[in-house]
Amino acid sequence: MSRELSWPSCDQLRDCNRTALHRAGIVSGARGAAKFMTSIQWGREGQAGAAVDRNVPGNLERFSFRGRAGEYFGIWIVNVLLTIITLGIYSAWAKVRRQRYFYGNTYLAGSSFDYHARPTQILLGRIIVIVFLIVYNVLLNLFPIVGLLFALGFSLAIPWFIMRGLRFNARVTSYGNVRLNFKGGYWGAFRAFVLSGFVAGVSLGIFAPYASRWSWRYLLDNLTYGDRPISSDPRIGDLYRHWWLPAILTVAGLAVLGFLVTAIGAAYGAFEVPKDGVAHPGLVLAIYGILLGLFLVYALPALLYKAGVRNVVLNATVLDQRHRFVSELGKWRYAWIAITNFLATIFTLGLARPWAAVRMARYLADHTGLHAVGSLDSYVGTVRDTGSAVGAEFMDVEGFDFGF
Amino acid sequence: MASEVIQKTVSGLWRLSGSARATPAVLSIDGSATTLVTGDGVAVSLPLSTLQISDRIGSIPRYITFPDQGVFETADNDGIDALMKPHVGRHAGLIHQLERFHPRLFVFVALAIAFCFALYRFAVPALVEVAVLVTPPVVPQLMSQSALVSLDKTVFSESGLAVERQKTLVEKFRQIAAFTPDRIKGDVRQPAPYTLNFRKGGIIGPNAFALPDGTVVLTDELVELAGQDDEIVLGVLAHEIGHVDHRHSLRQLYRAAGVATLIMFIGGDIGSGTEDVLVQGSAVLALSYSRSAEAEADRYSVELMHKAGHDPLAITRFFELLRTKLGESSDSGFLSTHPATPERIAETRRYAEEIAAGK
Repeated sequence: MSRELSWPSCDQLRDCNRTALHRAGIVSGARGAAKFMTSIQWGREGQAGAAVDRNVPGNLERFSFRGRAGEYFGIWIVNVLLTIITLGIYSAWAKVRRQRYFYGNTYLAGSSFDYHARPTQILLGRIIVIVFLIVYNVLLNLFPIVGLLFALGFSLAIPWFIMRGLRFNARVTSYGNVRLNFKGGYWGAFRAFVLSGFVAGVSLGIFAPYASRWSWRYLLDNLTYGDRPISSDPRIGDLYRHWWLPAILTVAGLAVLGFLVTAIGAAYGAFEVPKDGVAHPGLVLAIYGILLGLFLVYALPALLYKAGVRNVVLNATVLDQRHRFVSELGKWRYAWIAITNFLATIFTLGLARPWAAVRMARYLADHTGLHAVGSLDSYVGTVRDTGSAVGAEFMDVEGFDFGF
Repeated sequence: MASEVIQKTVSGLWRLSGSARATPAVLSIDGSATTLVTGDGVAVSLPLSTLQISDRIGSIPRYITFPDQGVFETADNDGIDALMKPHVGRHAGLIHQLERFHPRLFVFVALAIAFCFALYRFAVPALVEVAVLVTPPVVPQLMSQSALVSLDKTVFSESGLAVERQKTLVEKFRQIAAFTPDRIKGDVRQPAPYTLNFRKGGIIGPNAFALPDGTVVLTDELVELAGQDDEIVLGVLAHEIGHVDHRHSLRQLYRAAGVATLIMFIGGDIGSGTEDVLVQGSAVLALSYSRSAEAEADRYSVELMHKAGHDPLAITRFFELLRTKLGESSDSGFLSTHPATPERIAETRRYAEEIAAGK
């Protein structure tokens, strides 16, 4: 799956992968650390780096994540506790500390990212979004006929919220003191998030790669680092190469689930409509069983697809027409981490969440790189005005999550 | 002397405003003046108060932003804190101190769990009560009207019940409705005006339900099931009045909203998958809540029928009728919206006897 990469990698095999990683990762990590501590200038580092990957022009800079589960646990539990004690108000401060911890521990070529949103901005955005959603839901419940119009207006407003949210999130993100910016417009967001969902849904997932391409291109093509563009042009054929396996798994999973449901239903008669209108406990249990089955049938293919798409898209993404991004997730490994993270979090009543979050961040960073041609420190940016956090908080509350 | 110099300087990187190019630099604080010496020998001296120093979080780098938006970055967190110590209050960095890996975190875990439980167990129900009290009566009215309109469009069709029978039932319904207690004493609000409506149930079969404004709907199928025994129908109607009088649907709505808000508060820090599971879990808990609401409405039926001079055991007989006619006899059902029928028979019978003995 990541054969197009220009350095040796062992794909999704776990241990092999780790070796490949550490070959490049440790070298680059150590290099980064040394650079950081001794403050050697970057230009010379670029030269040293080129020696590591002799076979390619330029040099591969690995992302690395330096957060530790134990350290993040303290931050996390204090966030949770203070959020409860302050009845939710601290959640804005918690978000900033969490984001800064993850951004600040993500390194590329010795420099880290940073998150610059102010807690008061986040709090204000959050309050506005919650009030808006409450008013919307009340209107929807009280006036169902007029409510349909509200629902229509609301779905038309979603792309606007996302567009503003992406812009805010980009502008509060910096790498090496230079901020990102986002220049996407309304109709791009409409196509990327409303139309794409519609097309993927109506086609029963057959056109999902087109939908993915719209979304990712909107996200990445409109992004700039400082004043320099980022461009992404994943080929649709490459996306389809990561589509058929999840598609087959989904169809097979649904077939197995359908068979089980019919067999069990016939055996116990749980699906006869109860004549007294009182729900049969068996029926309720069966509904939950089916929901769980559906979750399993969709979760694994969705994760495999997500990892494959990320690889294709990032490998087709270029910063400033020179530096090529590299992503080499093992899709089975990625799915394994996501699913075990989820189970660990559930079975520890959430307490394993810090460990799980750090584990995923580390895996993603370790398998992402930038094929840098020349130095990365010639960038300048002038973005200071971030605008309001309403869109970003809307995405947060509504669960839109576009993690790279 | 030498050791003092080491303590008073921190080395790191200096970047001009908006520029990615970094040069090594050394920062020192002397009195309240900050001096920055960059690798190419440029020295800047500024009052400490004009600088913005980022909070300490884990071991991520610290950023000291100068008034011209130039940034000094250092990984030497301890060094910066040592430099700053004489110039900041005692509580500076308190959050970071709390976050450090320390046995104290066990206490935080216990507190977080206890608070979550307390919020769910006490704060949400208390807030629900307050919300129910302050809700203007127009809200349940609007909710009910729209619910009935959409049910009429989707599920129900016109009742085929004889007009005479309808008249008799409405008459008896009004008679028992007159005995409903005015729950909120001294409230200027009128007691909910109960109205009885007949519909053909379609897929929901023999059933009756109440909307929060006092609109009670009875399906033809239930009347047919009861045969000529109007007491049984009245017992069920009294049960539905109980739902209205206890404001069950409004409570359930507020409760769901309260639990959703609670999940959202901590949601950002537990991951989206876990959040989904919590939402599903709260739906299961909501079912168990509706179970207790059913039991409450059963007791209400017994009381109201007794007060109105009807058979308090009518609801019990309804359950027995269900059992014999439809074989509904399954035991237990935590997930069920309705408590298991044998339990309800026993419980309503016991309660009817208790009330009869009390009078």
